[in-house]
Amino acid sequence: MESIIEVKSLAKLFSNQAALENVSFSVKKGETFGFLGPSGSGKTTTIKILTAQLVPTDGEAYVFGVPTSKLKNPEMRKKIGVLTDNSGLYARLSVFDNLKLYCDLYDVPYSRIDEVLEMVNMAGERKKVISKLSRGMLQRVTLARAFLHKPELLFLDEPTSALDPVNTRHIYRGLERLKEEGTTIFLTTHDMNEAEELCDRVAFLNKGKIQLLDSPLALRRKFADHTVTVELSGGEKEVIDMGPAGAKALHEYMSENKVTSIYSNEPTLGDIFVEVTGRKLS
Amino acid sequence: MTFSMKRLLAIFNKDYKDLTRNLYVSFTLLVPLVLAAVFGRQGIDSIDLYYMVFNMALCLVAAYIQCSLIAEEKEKNTLRGLMLSPASTMEILVGKGLLSFVTTILVIGISAYFLGYMPENLLIVSLGIILSTVFYIALGTALGLVTRSVMEASVIIMPFVFIFSFGTSLSVLAEKYPILQAADYLPNSQLIMIAKEVEMGTGLAELWSHFGIIGLWVIGMALITMVIYRKRMVD
Repeated sequence: MESIIEVKSLAKLFSNQAALENVSFSVKKGETFGFLGPSGSGKTTTIKILTAQLVPTDGEAYVFGVPTSKLKNPEMRKKIGVLTDNSGLYARLSVFDNLKLYCDLYDVPYSRIDEVLEMVNMAGERKKVISKLSRGMLQRVTLARAFLHKPELLFLDEPTSALDPVNTRHIYRGLERLKEEGTTIFLTTHDMNEAEELCDRVAFLNKGKIQLLDSPLALRRKFADHTVTVELSGGEKEVIDMGPAGAKALHEYMSENKVTSIYSNEPTLGDIFVEVTGRKLS
Repeated sequence: MTFSMKRLLAIFNKDYKDLTRNLYVSFTLLVPLVLAAVFGRQGIDSIDLYYMVFNMALCLVAAYIQCSLIAEEKEKNTLRGLMLSPASTMEILVGKGLLSFVTTILVIGISAYFLGYMPENLLIVSLGIILSTVFYIALGTALGLVTRSVMEASVIIMPFVFIFSFGTSLSVLAEKYPILQAADYLPNSQLIMIAKEVEMGTGLAELWSHFGIIGLWVIGMALITMVIYRKRMVD
């Protein structure tokens, strides 16, 4: 399948301190690719390099087969949507006026404004002035602006970091809709649930290096200890291996009607990250 | 290189709406107008005084407002959004300068009316003012790009307001300090020279050196602005 992003041995130094070291990966067309890592791990630096906001110290980065240094072409810009920590809005203007500017810049009809506001759960808020919005609402307008022009590739840096669970879920549905329409999404997050829910593949970034890269399912299987925990009626818990011996034990408990709960011991992405890096995802 | 009028006007319209709701910046427009109204009522008839008001308008409106608009875009992280959009460097810079340009010309026009100033040759004087406006807008853009906030922009512009509003007075001291003769080559001094010579009936062909000097200031400042802008496109 066609690669939309191709990164080879990317490195970035800030005053001799490595923010990225020998980072290589590719993102396929239509894929939602997650970059997981704690604050300061190099996630935003990667997005900034891929959107030509930063120049790498070493290595190569291509977007749509074009070196990132050549991304200034208007036609290329129209293919890309970006939400980063430095995506600002005009505080004295309304939500509509902010999005109208970008409709004109990207040659998009104004009717698209209501569509994107609905996607971020802000239908009916178009007349509100930006300075009067809460942090979560600002985040949603900025997100709406990022996919206003139906980009082929969307870069999202911590897109739900300021949102409550209800709006987070709404955004997830919106992103799933974009994915169904064929949008490739490059997402950075330190929220493992978000990565599990949205991403086809994830890369674990720690101290500027990729530690692991695979699908969430493959990673969970790889790090699974193949046991389940059984809670018994007496309140005691038993960890049972998922082999034939465990099946026999489980069968016995169940025949004796002792089992109150069974749950998998499969690790979450967060557990795997901690195991691999020794660091927490926060 | 592509150039889209639609994108340019979109930036202009956004800035216009934003400026009308920005009391801090739009209040600045009143300073030269009030000064012109006061001098006009006193019936003062002096090219130097007229051009003190016009040069102040150029500094406060063309340079300062432009500087504040750019600095605020940087402070609020909105400039990066424009830079990442399909709008080219030229569309953004011209779009952002257009509002300052129109406002400056309007303020100078109204000030001239208040002052009762009617030049012998309106076309030549207008050319000089238009060329000077472009220089001050480029200056404001460059200063806005190097500052991080509107507050910082208000401070950094002050020495430039002083030099370009009152720099002509420095040439009075040139006999004692010959280096101050350089003040004659400032764009504001050149504009006054054009205005004075126009009153004596001098034609455009004989004023080319003054226009040439202002033109050099425009080209130099435009190049500096372009270089700074391109550097600001990346972190």
